[in-house]
Amino acid sequence: MICENCKQRPAKVTVTQVHNGEHFERHYCEVCANSLHPFYVEYKQDPLSLHQLLSNWFSQTEQQPMQHKQQKNMIVCDECGWSIQRFLDEGKFGCANCYNSFRPQLPNVFKRLHNGNTKHIGKAPGALGEKIAIKKRIEAIRSQMKDAIDTESFEEAAKLRDEARDLENQLSTGGDQTDVN
Amino acid sequence: MSIEHFLDNSISSWMAGEGKHSDIVMSTRIRLARNLNGYRFPLAFTEDEAHKIDQSVSATLLDASDELHMQFSSFHIKDVSELSRQVLVEKHLISPKLANSPMTGSVLLSNDESVSVMVNEEDHIRIQCLFSGLQIQEAYAQADELDRVLDKELPYAFDEQFGYLTSCPTNTGTGLRASVMMHLPALTMTKQMNRIVTIISRLGMVVRGIYGEGSEALGNVYQVSNQTTLGKSEEDILADLQSITEQIIQKEREARDALLKHSANTLEDRLYRSLGTLSFARIMATDEAARCLSDVRLGIDMGLIEDVDMSILNECMVFMQPGFLQKYAGTSLNTSERDMFRAKLLRERLQKEEKQKTKGEESE
Ligand SMILES: [Zn+2]
Ligand SMILES: [Zn+2]
Repeated sequence: MICENCKQRPAKVTVTQVHNGEHFERHYCEVCANSLHPFYVEYKQDPLSLHQLLSNWFSQTEQQPMQHKQQKNMIVCDECGWSIQRFLDEGKFGCANCYNSFRPQLPNVFKRLHNGNTKHIGKAPGALGEKIAIKKRIEAIRSQMKDAIDTESFEEAAKLRDEARDLENQLSTGGDQTDVN
Repeated sequence: MSIEHFLDNSISSWMAGEGKHSDIVMSTRIRLARNLNGYRFPLAFTEDEAHKIDQSVSATLLDASDELHMQFSSFHIKDVSELSRQVLVEKHLISPKLANSPMTGSVLLSNDESVSVMVNEEDHIRIQCLFSGLQIQEAYAQADELDRVLDKELPYAFDEQFGYLTSCPTNTGTGLRASVMMHLPALTMTKQMNRIVTIISRLGMVVRGIYGEGSEALGNVYQVSNQTTLGKSEEDILADLQSITEQIIQKEREARDALLKHSANTLEDRLYRSLGTLSFARIMATDEAARCLSDVRLGIDMGLIEDVDMSILNECMVFMQPGFLQKYAGTSLNTSERDMFRAKLLRERLQKEEKQKTKGEESE
């Protein structure tokens, strides 16, 4: 197949265009694809859609009174100097402190990016991570304990209860005993 | 180990064609994004910050090699030539972003190339584990182990509400991207991919072509990965990917069976024509080569083509890329020179198979 545009070089790139709900396939050589669709090289990273997403979010809030918008633009992170506007333009944060600086605005952004979610529920680093791991283990032991009671294995249940109690003590005595595992 | 060790060989351990369902799942990749407190993210940091981060991350990992039972070779990206960087990108060992970064950054590679840690890519730390076949839990366990070792020594940027803080808001939370690279020729031939892509995207996953730049998946190779990183635990992200992958595998097998049942002759003809093209063509553009390789691989998987090694698709998809071709040729090549050299390498690769089959018979 040869390129639809220059009709010289072999077609190497297929570009799918959506027009009035219909899909059209165009076949171009690398040279023509580059000049006609400069973003196709970034397809793998998908930055365009993220950027669009963020700016769509922003244009929705833009309909609010002008003063409000200007205030929002002026929120600046004091660690890296990035404004919230810059975050929205780049689709990236400048530093970890940006999360603090833009905290009130972020749930709206995350909702759109993460299926409505705004709160982390995975693992955590350091002592905090160990605490979470202990809490998870207590939960697991409690559910085992319930099963044991249901099947009237009371000796087993008592053992599990003590195990859970030990772990709870570890949690309440705080960071000193975080060297579990 | 020298950089040459990682450049000369087109086969990494993840291409070996081993692991579960390796006829359909080519590889599994786990990526964790992490940043350090006290330094700005790579888009905003200074060269001085970049240097300090690079030093402490590299030193921590190199010190931990005994604990991890893993030897690392560490390379400053600035010390690696442009062509070598391109080859590392084509082997999926570093990203184009790191290859083109103007700031100090490094990559640490395990000797078998299953682990690569990028320093100062989009985030301060990117842990990547690449396994052959479908090995989601295994690859995650490896990445988690590295994460634990780094966490002991380095202050991670973390927030109780938002989780691991990353440069891009699409990674915030777990910082985990789990993906599988799948060869789905029968689903593509039977025009079912569009429907599958739509269903999967509704489930919070993404499907995209992994090779080539266009919107078409080169060589019928697709990458399926999680989109959501916030509000979902690591366990749930991995379990969801596992279950979706298994369902796609099932669909691909059904499509292969249907092809064999309804159009065995047409299929066999097409697959052998592709084998013929790969064996004799003198000019081979990337997309044609990818299509033919996909056909031959399908023929092997379905038992229609014998005596060609399973790893042919994994390996050739890597070595037929521009960086590798030029590395092999030892000189820079323009597009048409590349197409000829690609055809030559593919012919030689298949003749090697042919020779192993019937020893002593020379054909060229
Ligand atoms: Zn053209
Ligand atoms: Zn900041």
